Amino acid sequence: MKTKRRMTRAIILFVMIAAIGYTFYNHFSEERGLVDSGDEAPNFILENMQGEELELAEMEGQGVYLNFWATYCTYCRDKMEILKEYYEEYEQKGVQVIHVNVDETNLQVERHRDRYNLPYELYIDRNMLVSNAYGVGVLPSAFLINEEGEVVERQIGGKTEEQLVSSLEEIVPGS
Amino acid sequence: MNKVTCECGHQNPYGTYLCESCGKPLQESDEKVANMRYEGVARRSQTYKSSIVDKIWNFFSSVKVGIWIIVLILVTSSLGTIFPQEMYIPPGTTATEYYQEEYGIAGQLYYDLGFHNLYSSWWYMMLIAALGISLVIASLDRFVPLYRALKKQRTTRHTAFMKKQRVFGESEGSLTEEDRTIMKERLKQKRYRVKEENGNLFAEKNRFSRWGPYVNHIGLIIFLIGGMLRFFPGMYLDEYVWIREGEREVISGTNGEYFVENREFMVELYDDQEEDLFQEALTREDNPVVSNFQTSATLYKRPEGIIGDNAELEKVKDHDIRVNQPLTFEGISLYQVDYRLNELSTFTFTVESDTVDLEEDMTFQVDLNDPARYYEFENGYQIELLEYFPNFYIDNNGEPSTQNRVPDNPRIIFELFTPDQDPEAEGTEGELSLIGVRVNEELNGERDHVIRMEDVELVDATGLTVRRDHTLPFLIAGGAIFMVGLIQGSYWHHRRIWIQEKAGRLYVAGHANKNWHALKRDLSFVSENTRLPEAADQLDDEAENEEEVQQKKGGNA
Repeated sequence: MKTKRRMTRAIILFVMIAAIGYTFYNHFSEERGLVDSGDEAPNFILENMQGEELELAEMEGQGVYLNFWATYCTYCRDKMEILKEYYEEYEQKGVQVIHVNVDETNLQVERHRDRYNLPYELYIDRNMLVSNAYGVGVLPSAFLINEEGEVVERQIGGKTEEQLVSSLEEIVPGS
Repeated sequence: MNKVTCECGHQNPYGTYLCESCGKPLQESDEKVANMRYEGVARRSQTYKSSIVDKIWNFFSSVKVGIWIIVLILVTSSLGTIFPQEMYIPPGTTATEYYQEEYGIAGQLYYDLGFHNLYSSWWYMMLIAALGISLVIASLDRFVPLYRALKKQRTTRHTAFMKKQRVFGESEGSLTEEDRTIMKERLKQKRYRVKEENGNLFAEKNRFSRWGPYVNHIGLIIFLIGGMLRFFPGMYLDEYVWIREGEREVISGTNGEYFVENREFMVELYDDQEEDLFQEALTREDNPVVSNFQTSATLYKRPEGIIGDNAELEKVKDHDIRVNQPLTFEGISLYQVDYRLNELSTFTFTVESDTVDLEEDMTFQVDLNDPARYYEFENGYQIELLEYFPNFYIDNNGEPSTQNRVPDNPRIIFELFTPDQDPEAEGTEGELSLIGVRVNEELNGERDHVIRMEDVELVDATGLTVRRDHTLPFLIAGGAIFMVGLIQGSYWHHRRIWIQEKAGRLYVAGHANKNWHALKRDLSFVSENTRLPEAADQLDDEAENEEEVQQKKGGNA
């Protein structure tokens, strides 16, 4: 009788505390992105300024640093300036840096590229299909994708040179 | 823990006041009237105090604790209304400064204590959770034993139980069969359910009203569960989206799968010339009265497969969103809530010159959402769009820039080449103009040509809320059950009457959980012209005694 009673009470308390705990967890845990670490990176096809297509799935076996940016975003500008120095080095190590503009006009992106002498390919996410699928809200947003196509980390906001390099290092294949 | 065996043979749990079966008082008491609360059963929470589980259980089982939780919730909830919550402070202001500037030291304190976000703070949510736990445990702890006691109650009660009832009467004598028939008849007339055992009668009515408080609590618990479900993924969504005419925006909460396009937004007004129902009211208004806000919307879905694979979005449906006529799909509704008229969309320019004959009309259009780079004219002129800032501002470095991609304050830099200039050649410099709304500046000296803004095309923007609320059924069900419980416990009263004959003496006792007056009336109606003794309220005799009992009762809550 006594153990049965205690079991009933323990079960009722446990169920209530579990439900409340889950509610608190949902409310107070840092908001999880639509695509976040541990998720499989949704495949996409984007065009660069010359109309050449790039598919994420083709990058398998390489790390991908997926950077969402806009011409009006100052932190993006700083970040892309730093990446100028490193992108070739990491391309050889097997990490691709993909810059995705969030649906600005071709003209603005071209102007921006010329003005800041950006040497790498720029992709424009027409109609924000990819940005929306990845749940990009704040710029810059970056997704670190490993060689198996799995998101390792979701980064939001400006990054220092050190942080950027260690991020790139994180997704070097076989590391 | 030991059971207590009553002389009737029933085994009662430890801590029982009145035998669950016959009602004999099992604990000595100086009071004239037995405490009938929960039928005198042992509230088990108060009798076992061994493990941690029991300790937590006992804490929440206490009504005193429950009342304290309610008081704390009331006090803290009202604190949150002293100054506006953070979500209601004017947009663009920061909470850190706003409260101090607006309300001084009190405001600063309010902010520092975290009261600007009171209703989603961890401690407020803890209080609500504690209330929920308290409701469940306190109800279970009382309902289960009470239900058992009322189910088990016997027709023949112990004389001691009868004597301890508030309404009680006794006399010498015995009842005839005729008396019994009359009494049973009268009790049934009063809608009592009557049981007979060895010539003893037991009449009861409206027992279900005793469940009222528990039904009420079930309603409250369901209501709280509904509130809790808002925090569960996919249950609740309340977002806002602005869409210009001709544009398409993603609908949040759909994993980037659904998009809505604003084909046209319109505001319709009542025609005050036309004869219709509201004519009289309309003429009284100085301003035109709006009859309809409407967004002609199209819902799109991203096709399966690779994102961005040039595949067109699939059209799902067209719908005219009006106030209270949302576009609904998969549990999500888009409601018309706001609009902005006259947003910039296309500029039309003409080139003019006082000094040069242009030979033809040089007019061109610039789509502010996707401007072309080159504009060529048959007379050999060429204009290049050098820079475009959709929402112009000077950034921290003192450079012209744009705040976002929305053309709210567009500025364009044009370079104009005359027919005799070769734009491709190195070192060719055309006339530079910076143009925006009410802005037209020359950037490199005197110009022979002026690019004049001739026309502006405007579009309207619609503001929609994106709502999904799967918790509503819970709130409605909870509220309805709450009311049922309230009515059940308030408008019916549980009444019981015991009539007994023992050793040549007649006993009558009655119990009601409220409205004792009606019970006494029922009793005198039943006993009229029979040998049944008149029942009296034992608490009427001694006013002092009553006070004492009332105090005891209050203290027991």
